Amino acid sequence: MHNLIEARGLFKDFGPTRALRGVGLTVAAGEAVAIMGPSGSGKTTLLHCLAGIETPGAGQVLFSRVGDTVDVAALSDRRRSELRRTSFGFVFQQGLLLPELTAGENVALPLLLLGARRADAEAEARRLLELLGIGDKVGARIGELSGGQQQRVAIARAQASQPAVVFADEPTGALDSVTSAEVMSALLASTVGSGRALVVVTHDASVAARCDRTLHMADGTIAEMSTSVRAGDAS
Amino acid sequence: MALARLFARRASGDASTVVLPAVAFAVVALCTTVVTGGVFAFFTFPGQGGATYRILALLALVLLVVPLASLGGAAARLAARRRDERLSSLRLLGASTALVSALTVVESTAVALAGALVGAVASLAALPLFGLLHFDGRALGGAIWPPVWVFFAVVGAVAALSAVSAAIGLRGVVLTPLGVRTRVATAQVKWLRAAIAFAVLVVAVMISSSLNALAGIGGLILVVAVLLGGFGAVLAVLGLVGPLALRLFARRWLTRAKTPARLIAARTVLDDAKAAWRQVGALSMVSFVGVFTGVGVAFTQGTGDEDAATRLLLADIRTGVILTLAMSFAMVACAIGVNQAAGILDRRALYVSLDRLGMPAAVMDGARRRAVLAPLLVVTIGSAVAAALVLLPLTGYALLVQPLGLAIIVGCLALGIGLVWAGLTATRPVLTRVLSAGIPGTT
Repeated sequence: MHNLIEARGLFKDFGPTRALRGVGLTVAAGEAVAIMGPSGSGKTTLLHCLAGIETPGAGQVLFSRVGDTVDVAALSDRRRSELRRTSFGFVFQQGLLLPELTAGENVALPLLLLGARRADAEAEARRLLELLGIGDKVGARIGELSGGQQQRVAIARAQASQPAVVFADEPTGALDSVTSAEVMSALLASTVGSGRALVVVTHDASVAARCDRTLHMADGTIAEMSTSVRAGDAS
Repeated sequence: MALARLFARRASGDASTVVLPAVAFAVVALCTTVVTGGVFAFFTFPGQGGATYRILALLALVLLVVPLASLGGAAARLAARRRDERLSSLRLLGASTALVSALTVVESTAVALAGALVGAVASLAALPLFGLLHFDGRALGGAIWPPVWVFFAVVGAVAALSAVSAAIGLRGVVLTPLGVRTRVATAQVKWLRAAIAFAVLVVAVMISSSLNALAGIGGLILVVAVLLGGFGAVLAVLGLVGPLALRLFARRWLTRAKTPARLIAARTVLDDAKAAWRQVGALSMVSFVGVFTGVGVAFTQGTGDEDAATRLLLADIRTGVILTLAMSFAMVACAIGVNQAAGILDRRALYVSLDRLGMPAAVMDGARRRAVLAPLLVVTIGSAVAAALVLLPLTGYALLVQPLGLAIIVGCLALGIGLVWAGLTATRPVLTRVLSAGIPGTT
């Protein structure tokens, strides 16, 4: 598997606070990487730098597409936004779906942003929701869905544009343990199970245990890295 | 009181929680004082001609009450809404119903009082400007200054409106602490409203057709009261059927939406048609009356056989219509600006997440702009066209003989729409700031 993301010597300051201190890592296609650490350790900042949401003060984030490598950190704001739209998917802690839209329309949104025809975008949204076991909720409004169902919609939305990497920030943080396990299974199956990379920030050791590698952050550095054997999740 | 002081200190960290509703209340107080001053001025006009001006002033007042109430309501809802999350947390921690209610009322009223005082002071500067307006051949001048008690009454009324609205608006927090954050169902527009509206309309038509008989029974005062009541009834009917009409339009927009901005805008209107109507509905009657009166005045002037006094009255009516249109649009633009800014701040996390997904800010901005402007155009142009159609033969004649008179009214409507657009555009920096700030506390 080739490396999709390679970060080198990332530094990031917020005023007097140094959030990242020379962090480096690689993420390969089909790999799930968990980032753990106490609050304020820099894990979300690292995720944001990898995804082009924040630009590091120093260092590089190289993203390799077919026959092309770009330094995410060096791109303009507009190009980074375009990169996120075309190549990255996101799952947030609380779904953060548009409450006015139906589940299907939320999933179709990234495709519409890429210029897809509405009928095609909604057909793809229906297919993705069916894959995640909530095809019957395609016309439901977000407020009518449970927390777990909302996260499945968010997972479907994250995959709609066929991204190379999916970034998830505490995707199970607001869920009970049973639903959390189900959502994590869905997330792994729809990402690494399809050859995509998954980078997930989590406080939950059971979530991290289901990823290939876990980076433990402390004071803006990777203090420890552990690997785990992931069996059957992506099937 | 200790909790209220604590909350007040916390609120100073998030200035928008206080500043936005305070500005809205200031505008409400300013407009109310000026409008009241105008009515007082017309009541000083002597003689039979003065009676005509008084009736016209009351009609304008009825028209202005709706956008004014809409702005006041928006400000009051805003003052309460920006606090509901903290209060629901307090309720979850076990605070009593009485404590939560008291805190809500104290906080909202304090903001309203401060805003209203600023508005009343601002009116001291605005009134002399309005005093320059000419009616019945002379400037309004000092007659536009209302008695001192009006200033105090306006400030008190604005504070009371805020207190009542806050108490009513937060019933949900008191009854169900989690209810604030879990909006589940689409706000339903009941078809029963259409039936009630139809019934009200039938009664209004029956009464207005008996005006001659009423004049015989109770004289001019009864006729004026019935006319004003009829006007109010039509406004109430519009409030009942307006959301239904917007919902029908929004369904059409939804079916045809091909871009994300159009899709989100259509769904926003469909999601809460009543809220969409509340924002722009005040302009329906104003637009209708503007064109109706404009055609009437143009037609009468076109006959060319009016005397000097009638000519003066017709010119004054046109000035009054333009003034009413301008004030209505200004109040609606202000209410929309405040609502939109608050909406962006309330949905901060959602907008930031959309930005992270790669949605361009122009798409987000386009969606919320369209969600306001599309209903605005439907309401304003729809009402104007309806008025022109009601007077169809006269409209055609007036267009031929007095095109300039009608063009001025239509121009005012276009400028008003432009004003609302400007109000919306003014909130774009709020979105930009929210997107660049991200979500605090995520490291």
